[in-house]
Amino acid sequence: MIQLTQETRSGWCVVNVRGRADGETADELESALRAALEQHSKVAADLGALDYISSAGLRAVLQAARAAEGKNAEFAVCALSAPVKKVFDMSGMRHVLRIHGELPC
Amino acid sequence: MKLHAPVWHNQAILTETEFVLQGRLGELKRLAAETAKFCREHSLGDEVEFDLNLALEELFTNSVSHGGCAGMENAVQVRLQLLEDGVYAEYSDRGRPFDPLTAPEPHLDARLEERSAGGLGVHLVRQIMRDLEYRRAGDWNRITMRRPC
Repeated sequence: MIQLTQETRSGWCVVNVRGRADGETADELESALRAALEQHSKVAADLGALDYISSAGLRAVLQAARAAEGKNAEFAVCALSAPVKKVFDMSGMRHVLRIHGELPC
Repeated sequence: MKLHAPVWHNQAILTETEFVLQGRLGELKRLAAETAKFCREHSLGDEVEFDLNLALEELFTNSVSHGGCAGMENAVQVRLQLLEDGVYAEYSDRGRPFDPLTAPEPHLDARLEERSAGGLGVHLVRQIMRDLEYRRAGDWNRITMRRPC
């Protein structure tokens, strides 16, 4: 299960991601991030309440990053918990994403 | 320690669990719940649970999305057993004969636009698990692996 909410903080559109980003919920995550990117030029995914992520969830984040690049928007991923960060690190996501320990806002 | 097949069939061993999954992604919830239950019953920590769940999910989504298991009843069987040197997992699917361990490694240092999504799941399985082995057993693809703990 995944819960997605959106808010604005200091000029950033922040998508709060809660729960699990897996093969079943990844499409929902990608849609929410894409929808935010359609309306805002600075989007951050706050993963502070994300308990679990698999390659399907990573793919959703990568697709959002690609969409952001395509429209010259800023996209950041923030507040990763230790287990989620481990999956990002194992996947080499640091090479392709702007990852912040704190929210950029 | 090497895994011998007969051990799996000994119901007297209480450190073992087994479950069957249907060939649809909605089963990921049950996969997660079964893994959590096994880890709780054996006082294994959150990190072990996360890793087992992740490795099993990656294999399962491959089976359903690419391996011909979509819509198949009783498509996948998972066995977990706790031994002295870790959790042994046996993952079997009834899909097309395919050894996921032969998949090429993804290019992790590629730039965003060159980055392909393929191969990442199996890469994660390799990072987390040890002693990975594949064999075709009758109608089953069978992968055995160990999560040290």
